[in-house]
Order: sequence, then structure tokens, then C-alpha cells
Amino acid sequence: MGMDIRLDGICHFYGDTEVLRDISLEIPTGQIVCLVGPSGCGKSTLLRLIGGLERPGSGRVLQLGAPPSNSLNPLTFVFQDFALLPWRTVKGNISLVLEDHGIRGKRSKAIIDDVLTRTKLADFADALPKQLSGGMKQRVAIARALAVNPAVMLMDEPLSALDAQTRELLMDDLVALWTRQPFTAVYVTHNLAEAVRLGHTIVVLSRRPGRIREIVSIDTPIGERRAGDPVCQRKHDLLWELLREEARAADEELIDG
Amino acid sequence: MIEIKREDKQMKFNRRQTLGLMGAAAATTLAAPAIAQNKKIVVGALRFTSHSGSFIALERGYFNDAGLDVELKFFQAAQPMAVAIASGDVDYAVTAVSGGLISLADKGAIKVIGGALSEEKGIDGQKILASDAAFKAGLTSPSQLGGKTFGMSTAGSSFHYMGSKVAQAEGVEMSFKPLQKVGAIIGALKSGQIDAWSIVPHIAKPLAGSGAVHIIGDISDYLPGYQVTTVFTSAKNAADERDQTKDFLTGFGKGVSDYNSTMIDKAGGEDGVNEMVDLIHKYVYTDRPREKAAPSIINGTMRINEGSKLNIASLRDQLEWFQSEDLVGKDITLDTLVDGSYVETYEG
Amino acid sequence: MADTGAENKRNGEGPIEVRFRGGGFAPKSLRWVGVVVFVVLIALVQWGTESGWISALTLPKPSDVLATFVQLWESGLLFKHLQPSLTRLVIGAALGASAGIGIGVLIGLFSYVRAGLVPLVAAIFPIPKIALLPLFVIWFGIDEGSKYALIAFGTFTPTVVATYGAVDNVDRSLIRMGQSFGLSWFSIVRKIVLPGAMPGILSGLRISLAIAIILLVAAEMLGAEYGIGAYILEAGSLYDLERLFAGVVILSLLGVLVSALIGLLEKRLLGWRV
Repeated sequence: MGMDIRLDGICHFYGDTEVLRDISLEIPTGQIVCLVGPSGCGKSTLLRLIGGLERPGSGRVLQLGAPPSNSLNPLTFVFQDFALLPWRTVKGNISLVLEDHGIRGKRSKAIIDDVLTRTKLADFADALPKQLSGGMKQRVAIARALAVNPAVMLMDEPLSALDAQTRELLMDDLVALWTRQPFTAVYVTHNLAEAVRLGHTIVVLSRRPGRIREIVSIDTPIGERRAGDPVCQRKHDLLWELLREEARAADEELIDG
Repeated sequence: MIEIKREDKQMKFNRRQTLGLMGAAAATTLAAPAIAQNKKIVVGALRFTSHSGSFIALERGYFNDAGLDVELKFFQAAQPMAVAIASGDVDYAVTAVSGGLISLADKGAIKVIGGALSEEKGIDGQKILASDAAFKAGLTSPSQLGGKTFGMSTAGSSFHYMGSKVAQAEGVEMSFKPLQKVGAIIGALKSGQIDAWSIVPHIAKPLAGSGAVHIIGDISDYLPGYQVTTVFTSAKNAADERDQTKDFLTGFGKGVSDYNSTMIDKAGGEDGVNEMVDLIHKYVYTDRPREKAAPSIINGTMRINEGSKLNIASLRDQLEWFQSEDLVGKDITLDTLVDGSYVETYEG
Repeated sequence: MADTGAENKRNGEGPIEVRFRGGGFAPKSLRWVGVVVFVVLIALVQWGTESGWISALTLPKPSDVLATFVQLWESGLLFKHLQPSLTRLVIGAALGASAGIGIGVLIGLFSYVRAGLVPLVAAIFPIPKIALLPLFVIWFGIDEGSKYALIAFGTFTPTVVATYGAVDNVDRSLIRMGQSFGLSWFSIVRKIVLPGAMPGILSGLRISLAIAIILLVAAEMLGAEYGIGAYILEAGSLYDLERLFAGVVILSLLGVLVSALIGLLEKRLLGWRV
């Protein structure tokens, strides 16, 4: 029992600039779909369209099936810049998203304890964001997303603001989280290593206006992928071939086309 | 000090131009004093009719005859003028006795050397006013001032003195509201924000005429012989420039004589008055056409002391009142304030 | 670099230590310097007035100012003047600042309010509020009303400008986060916009409250018998420099106190800042 997302002929414009053209895509329950593409291809825009933060120019975003009944916020974002309230503690940042659903006191504490344990933050409940490292901040953001029990996690380059080592560690954490309890996610990244490591399906977008160039599936179970794994490496090289020209062409365009 | 310190455009008349105006004959018939010829001095003035003595003396060449090249410097209020005397920017001026003036005298900056305007029984003087609201509520005579609010520019001003003396004479207590400027006091009185005030007749009468305020008494009933304004100068001028000071008082005295004889005693008949109004209108109510300014100038007529006679008794009373109110130092003596060697003094 | 060293050796010179050139431009906390400046200035004036090269008309003796202050304290007059002034300051500033924060937040949140009120605020900001005092006397009466109004009006405009600027500067990504979690509009305003705008609002308050103290003297121009402003004005009209300076010192101390209070508030409310 779960909720799929279907994109049906999405087109989008910013003013006169066409950013997305005719995107149709299925996001099945329990899978991580990675969106990759050159910078400016509209992958973050597509994510905001899925999450309802922007309205598509044409086409529809459809939810297929009902979200789990205990899901407080079926479509939940994890942002690149963490978006933690600096004036609230770790605990306070998580309770922020529960308060509006009338969850307070004991129930709230139980949820907070659970998600903090799952993200290995139990000891830092009372710390302020300014005291945390980048990786910890993003784990708080992930814990906050888990707290509302989302049907689909919308992750917008969640690791891009972190250094390489932290990124590796956090990828391990995400894999562990998914293995324990599979979740549905749309994962936007420009980093092919992340896509190959975390994605069941990798959607390659062309440069602007973004169209679906290719959909690559990786069958190796997520928990078993390792760095240097030949299958993964082949997929990585394939993706790079697909992206190289697009990235170069995109790089030579003026920002405003 | 919040008072506006802006000085009006300086007006300067040199001797030659004034002589041209007056005609050479007049200049030669009036004997010029022996000492300093054409000595430059600065005289401070407000654009009030009560300062006409200086205007006339300048226009008719009396200062020139006294060997002085006078430059008039105009001020918006008496206080900055007193400061300008203390700082040496102005040599002579006429203003009311106030706590500030006494304080400056105490600091060795200024001296009162003569009298100008004074209250006299039988001559129209300052009026006690009540607001319309207070009047309707029964404030019809100064004896009912108890518990009322009385307007003044600042603590230690002549308004403060007058109101306090009236209350003292009537045996009542009033509260005094500082409103900084005469315009603000008039506004507050008209709108009934304060109950009472006292002011010179040429301001009092038109106000009462409009029905917004009522005249309920005369200051001269309470302070007969009140020396309202005085001629003053810097302590340095009074002590070290005796000849120049005498010359100034001579020229100024002639202007005052002309003013009194023409405007009050009507020595020159209607023509004389008209001519004088023309002269004064060059300095006072300059923003109004002559026909509108004339009634105000004529209404504002008050006798200015001949020979700058000084009522020393009134000054003593004022000094003692300021001291009793703890507005100025208790150790200040009358001699600190007044240099009585220049003019005739009297106990009025 | 190795080459240079080799060359130096060849020229018969020893190694040269790299010259330090990174000094300055880093403010250090040297609190005592300020105190020394004060003390030296006051001592200089005291010496000058006593020896006579500063005349009694130019500056009062600092010791006389102190004596006046002590006298004010002992006679109880200090509190007779302070009490009404503080009341006016607190009520006027509280009215002006709360209205300013309220309107500023509305301007920050609603485009129509912004379009309608920003030009109005820009128009009334540069009006010297003192000029409106006679008008306030008519509107609010010569007693406390006009004084509250003047101080409130004077603190209102800078607070509005600081507040809507602060609301504009709230990190948009935090608001988007709130929306993405389905927070209600009111929750977003209360839990994200207001705390996020707090640093800007508080630094605006610093300026607004200093203006309130400045306006205290103006407010007490009309119809105030007691109050620090009235005391200063009276001293000015009497050329009583000792009282004038004593009054000015009280205002300065008031300013320092207010600034310290806001500093304390910032420490409490903005401890989360990096």
C-alpha cells in the first residue's frame, strides 16, 4: 500500500523562458528516483512542481493512491541549505513541523526521540543549529522530514553543501535508513556518484528547456552497491557520456539564454 | 535652547546713504559730538513697534549725528539677542528683564544701562487675558485665577514674573505652562489649552476683538511702574566704552523722543503719524501692505521712557522675585545687573 | 622561493625573515581608552575654568555641574523630573514602537499594504516631528497626550522602516520550508517571519529609542512643568550652564541605559546568531 506520483506532460516557463518541456514520469512507491542534468536544466524546478511549491505551466502532477493514513505531510522536502530555524534547537526544529498538526507533549517527544535516534542525533536534541556541523544539520533536516512520515521525500541536492567526506558518510546513513525502512524519494543531484549510489532509477534531463533524455535503471540492490563496483561504474560512465555534451553546451550558454 | 536662532537679513545703512536721505542741511545743523566719528556699532532689534526708537534714530540720522555708524541686526526672539550681546556680536539692544538676562549679568557678560518700556497708570499697558472657555466658566477677573493655568514662554520670562505677581497680589496659586513661543501661547489660549496670559496691548486687543479671548485686567494695576524693557549692552561696553555708550543713548533717546511726541502726543498731527508709520513700516510688518500694517503699528503705540529713564525700584523687585523663585543665584546684587551711571534712575 | 634563498646566499646575505604586513583593520576591545578620553576631557575643562582661560560663559566647571547634580538628588527634585520624563518615554516609545512593528510587519507581508503605506511612511519620515507639536497640542491636549503622541510619532517611522526591511530580509528559504511542511500562514508569520526579523527590529529599536530620548526635550517644550527636558529648557532660558549640563548628562546616561537594555535583550533573544 503506497502512493505513486505521476507527472503528466509537464511544461513550465519563467516569463518567456521555457524551462521544462513535456515531462512525463512515474515515481513508484518505495523507490528512489534520481534527477540528474546539467546546471540550469530545471531539475530543482521540477522538484518544486512535484511538491506543490510551484504551479506547472501546463500538465499535471498526480498522486496515485492514498498516502499512508499516519502521514502528516505526504510530500516532504529536504533542502540543500538545510533550512533549519537558527533560533530553535534541534528538538524545536522538529517539533515545529508537528505543532501545526496539534502534536505536542508526550506524542511529540516520542516522535522526536524516534527520528533523532534513527538519524543518530539523540545526544544533540538541545543544541542550536550554529553549534552543529554541516552534516549534522542535514541529518536534523532529514530527521525533521521523517517526523512527518512522508509518502514521498523530495530531496533537493541534499548533500551539495557538504564536503566530500561528510557526503560519503551521509550517503551511508541514507542507505541505512532506506534499507531499514524503504521510502519513496525524488532525489535531485548534479553528482553522478550520488545518483549511482542511491538511485533505483536515474532520469537524465537535457539542458534547458529540460526534457527527459534517458531513463537509466540500476538493478543492484542499494544496500549492496560499493565504490568501484563494476556495474555501478559502467552506469556512471554511461551517464557521464550522456551528460558530457549537454553540460558543455549548457556551460556555453548565457544565463538568460 | 530650542528657540529659533535664525537672524534676519542684516540691514546696513552707511553714513553716506543716510545723509543723502536726510539732506546735508540737517546733518550740519545738528552738532556732531567731538569724540569718535563714524564708529561702527551693531544694534540688535526685534521687528516690534516697541523697538521704533532704534529705527527712527537710524533713519533720521540721529546715530550718525552721534558719530556712530549703526548696523541693525534683527532677531526672532529676545533671548538669542541677549546671547549675541554677551558674545560681542551685538553692542546694544532693548529687551525685557528675564532670568536669562540676570544670569548673563551675573556671569559678567551684560549690563542694563537704561529703561525703555514701562507700565504707567493711565497709559494703555499690558493686559491680562482669559481664554473664552475659562471666561465662560467664570474667570472674569484676576481674582478668580486660583487653580488656573497661566501661559509663559519659559520659566524666568517676563510672563512668568507678571503672572506670579498678579497671583501673589490676589493671594491665589496658579500653575505656569512653558510654551516657548508667543505664537504657541496664543494658539493654546485660543483653543482653551491654557486659561490665562498677559501681553502687550497691540497683541491683546485684536485677540480680544476676535472673541476668542477676553481681557480681564491690567498689569499696571498690579505692577505700577513696571519696567518692562530695558536698554542693555555688554559689560565691556558699559565699563570701557563710556563715550560710545553715551553716544548710543543720545541717538536712541532722540529716536524715542520723536516717537513719543509724534505717536502719543500727536505733535505733528495726522501727517506726522502717517510719516512715522511709513518709517516704522520699513521694519515692522514688512510682509503686509502699508494700509494693513498701519492700524497694527498705531495700535501698538506705547510710551517709551524719555531719556531712557530707569525705574530702579521695579528692577529691584524683579531681581528679588527671580531670586525668591530660585531661578537665579541668591547672591546677585542690583549693581551686578545695572550700571546706573548713564541715565536718570528713579524709584517708581 | 627556494631560488631567492639560494640567490641571497650567493650574494653573501643570510635568509631574510618575511616582513609581517597583516596588522590593523581588526578592532580590538579596549574599553579603558574611552574612559581615559572622558577623564582627560573633564579634567581639562575643570582646569581651564578654574584658571580662567575658559570663561564662565563658555563652559561650566565640571565640579559645579556635579554639585548641581548632587543637589538635584538630595532635594528629591531629580526624581520629580525623572518620573514624568520616564513615563513619557516609556509610554510614548511603547506606543510608537509597537505600532511601528505592527505596521512594518504588515508592510512586509502584504503587497497592497506595502504599495499603500511605504510612500506614506517615506513622506512622513523626514518631517521634523517638533514642527507638529502645536498640532498635537490641539489634537491630544497640552497635557500628557501631546507628549506621548510626539514621542510615539517620532519612534514610529524609523521602527516601521527597520521592521519591514527586517521582514524583507528574512531568509526566503525558511519560509519555503514552512510552506513545504504545510504550516499555516499564521504559524509561518509567528514562528518564522517574526523571529527571523527580530535582529533587524532590535537594531531599529536602538535608533528609535535614541530618537525618543531626543524628542523628550522637544515634547517637554510645551506645557511641561517637570521633566528632564523641561529642566534643560528652563536652564537654557536662564543661561544656567550648570543645570543645563546636569540635565544633558542625565539624558546621556538615559541613552546609555537604554542602549544597555537593548544589548541585554539582544543577548537574550538573539543568542542563536552565529
